[in-house]
Amino acid sequence: MNVQFLNPFLEAANEVLKAEIGVEVTRGEISLQRSALTANEVTVLLSMVGQLQGVVLYGMSKATACMLVSKMMGEPITELDSLAQSGVAELGNVLTGRATIKLSEIGLQTDISPPTVIIGAGITVSTLDFPRLVVPIRFEDQTMEAHLALRLAEANGHQSHVPLVRELGARA
Amino acid sequence: MNVKFLNPFLEAAYEVLLAEASVRTVRGQISLSKEPYVTEDVTVMLSLVGAVEGTVFYSLNSPLALTLIGNMLGEKLTTITSLAQSGLAELGNVITGRASVKLAQSGYESQISPPTLLLGRGSTLSTLDMPRLVVALNSDDGPMVVHLAIREGRNMLAKAADIAVPASPRFG
Repeated sequence: MNVQFLNPFLEAANEVLKAEIGVEVTRGEISLQRSALTANEVTVLLSMVGQLQGVVLYGMSKATACMLVSKMMGEPITELDSLAQSGVAELGNVLTGRATIKLSEIGLQTDISPPTVIIGAGITVSTLDFPRLVVPIRFEDQTMEAHLALRLAEANGHQSHVPLVRELGARA
Repeated sequence: MNVKFLNPFLEAAYEVLLAEASVRTVRGQISLSKEPYVTEDVTVMLSLVGAVEGTVFYSLNSPLALTLIGNMLGEKLTTITSLAQSGLAELGNVITGRASVKLAQSGYESQISPPTLLLGRGSTLSTLDMPRLVVALNSDDGPMVVHLAIREGRNMLAKAADIAVPASPRFG
């Protein structure tokens, strides 16, 4: 797991949470975890394919999820009904989507899958041989943990690009 | 959700379970579910991105998981060890990979994400606005249930420029 993948996510989290929720974020201590993760109360999961592949998870408590959705919708939400779930998922989607744009700026083309929401603490989520980079993202008195289990796709993996302008230009 | 996407997965699952784990399955009823999925003992989850996008998961109980892995490894297992976990994830990977090859043959090219493994029952997993096609593949040790929450990729046309051009034929 390469730390260079981390910054696009942190920047995206910062921008998206500021714009959508109106909060300033700080990041906590970064750690690398190899063991399976025990799910938080609410986990938003997205997969990434392309030059960078793997899984991105955003774990948070129910209270944090409700707080985020309340601010997004501008009305108090106390129950994680399907509307609230889709709100949290959308946040994960926007955040990851924005991160992929930043990743493409450093030359990594990726695509993300639609989000899945896991509700209920206690189950174990394993990304198997992908170690996870875990970053707590803090805002106000809440914490959202971003788990990045990503790696570069092998050079001979699926590559859907034709070596065109950039490579030719670089050689000239 | 389009039913035409279902058969490649069922065929692939049947073939892979038979070939890799010597377990013969019989297909059960198909149903369409809008309710969140409540996790079984073991859930292998993968996403597809491309001309078909969404999430597919395979859920099974521990006895069937142990039978499958036991048959694959040729030894009797009593707990889902980390080796067994990666075996189960690999099984999901092979099934989905095979299905994606079949889908590509009918013109729907997509990439699959690395698998994620969920262990533990009772959490709920929501694919939000994507309903799931649910089909059980029944075996003597219980069913492996295939859940498909996939749709035709929305960005199929926008991504037309990215579709791989076959490499030029090699001569000599």
